[in-house]
Amino acid sequence: MSTVFTLWKRGLKAFIRNRTGLIFSLIFPFFFVYVFGAIFKSDYIQNPIAYMLSGVIITTVFESSLNLASSTVDDMVSGFMKEILVSPVRRIAVAMGQLLAATTVATLQGILILVIGLFIGIRFTTWTTPLFILIAMVSVGLVFSGVGLFLATKVRSGQTFQIVKTAVTMPLTFISGAYIPLSMLPDTLRYIAYINPMTYATAFFRMIVLEKTDLTTAELVKEGLAIDINGFIVTPFMSFVIIVLIGLVFLLLSTYSFIKTDFSRLNRSSSDASALWG
Amino acid sequence: MNSIIEVKNFTKSYGNFIAVNNISFEVEEGTIFAFLGPNGAGKSTTINTLCTIFEKTSGNLFIDGKDVTTHKSEVRSTIGVVFQDSTLDAKMTIDENLRMHCVFYNVPKKEVEERIQFVLKLVDLLGERKKLVGALSGGMKRRVEIARGLIHYPKVLFLDEPTTGLDPQTRAHIWEYIIKLQKERNITIFLTTHYMEEAEICNKIAIIDGGIIVAHDTPYALKKEFTKDKAYITTKNESELERLLVQYDLKYVKKEDFYKIEAENIDRLLQVLSLCKEDIRNIEIKKGTFNDVFLEITGKKIREEA
Repeated sequence: MSTVFTLWKRGLKAFIRNRTGLIFSLIFPFFFVYVFGAIFKSDYIQNPIAYMLSGVIITTVFESSLNLASSTVDDMVSGFMKEILVSPVRRIAVAMGQLLAATTVATLQGILILVIGLFIGIRFTTWTTPLFILIAMVSVGLVFSGVGLFLATKVRSGQTFQIVKTAVTMPLTFISGAYIPLSMLPDTLRYIAYINPMTYATAFFRMIVLEKTDLTTAELVKEGLAIDINGFIVTPFMSFVIIVLIGLVFLLLSTYSFIKTDFSRLNRSSSDASALWG
Repeated sequence: MNSIIEVKNFTKSYGNFIAVNNISFEVEEGTIFAFLGPNGAGKSTTINTLCTIFEKTSGNLFIDGKDVTTHKSEVRSTIGVVFQDSTLDAKMTIDENLRMHCVFYNVPKKEVEERIQFVLKLVDLLGERKKLVGALSGGMKRRVEIARGLIHYPKVLFLDEPTTGLDPQTRAHIWEYIIKLQKERNITIFLTTHYMEEAEICNKIAIIDGGIIVAHDTPYALKKEFTKDKAYITTKNESELERLLVQYDLKYVKKEDFYKIEAENIDRLLQVLSLCKEDIRNIEIKKGTFNDVFLEITGKKIREEA
């Protein structure tokens, strides 16, 4: 238990110490709100700033938690992972510590944007909304830290990993409805969006932030909060269930994979495994 | 003396390639043991298997009586490891790195502060403890790693090339710490090194080449067995010297302007010298070095890794 707490604290400290990273992680979301808010100004969205912000917040949580993959790979490359692995700690504790740290950092980043958002357009009418928002952010954070950790255990080279990561996150964020409403996407991309977990996370989160929980299914579809797959309506509640299921699968997979991975095989620089572990 | 490390018929292969071939050796408690060998000889494979990172192919390896394959967790608590490459968290301070290590190794909370002070004093870093590791020099990082490797009071400390890439002054310091440790805490130290003169400080040496142990003894015994003192002589009368050397059965090689003579039998060499002392211009006796031992045994020069 103390190992989990120690690694969690380490993750938080690293986040707080990285001032530049923190500032940029705040600049980008508002840049997106501004740009996409201006481009997709449309009549059926009552509160475009809040609409965009909700998408941006959940995307930030998603990207930040997925970053666990990068930080885990960094730990392998810097050698710190080796220090942990020759110690008597159990790997499951290491996995849990890393997952919780990433989730916490991701949630904190989401909260920071949300707090700024409160000044520029987001309004809550009930006290349950912030609570639901928090639960949603933590869930999404956990889900994608799981995905991130899973990716990290499959990595063999630090350099290729960065490219793969960008190639995965970019489409997942842009074809999720967070920035660009799904109805504006061409058919092919829209079908890709249907298998993108972020689509469901976005729809669900947006419904909470915009406080549209009491709308009918038809109204939800009209507002782009429920997803209409050729007549089959995925309600926000179902979206949440989908996210939780994906999350459970990846949390189990990543923890299992982390316990089983032979980190001695990671290619640290350019030569063979013995160069890394010798 | 009882053996704290026991390796019996250890073999490690990767597919068809046999990295370590059926080696056996023991290390006595409280000694410094050096593992030498050219690159790719199997040193790192052995050290990594002993540290529970690699899985053996066959054989038995024990540390403090515990099997490194079946009792990983117990073995890990017993050993401290300093790898060749840094395994510190550069984003954290020295203090934070040590504290994390204490958590990983279940050091009782109330002892942590005392132990941090003890190990940092040992490596002269007590004043720097609040500094970020990323801002330290290579030598300082190595010292932090040695301090960290000791903080859970291991019985065996593994040092994989502890002084590679450090300047001579820092190297000398690191050795001071290592010897101080062995004396004060009776820790067994298992190290690999490329520096021959460092190997000579150790109690026992094993030389590994091509996956097998080709020599295993004290530095003194190895030197005695594998090196010969040599006399370098310059003379005015070369034919006379050659005649005497043949007569007294001394092996020699003629170089450009001097003779290189094996000085194993000092008596006979002295007799030759007394018989031609008027002709001799210059004489120099060279002791065998540990490098010679290594060359003699492996036929290769030990070189630093690129």
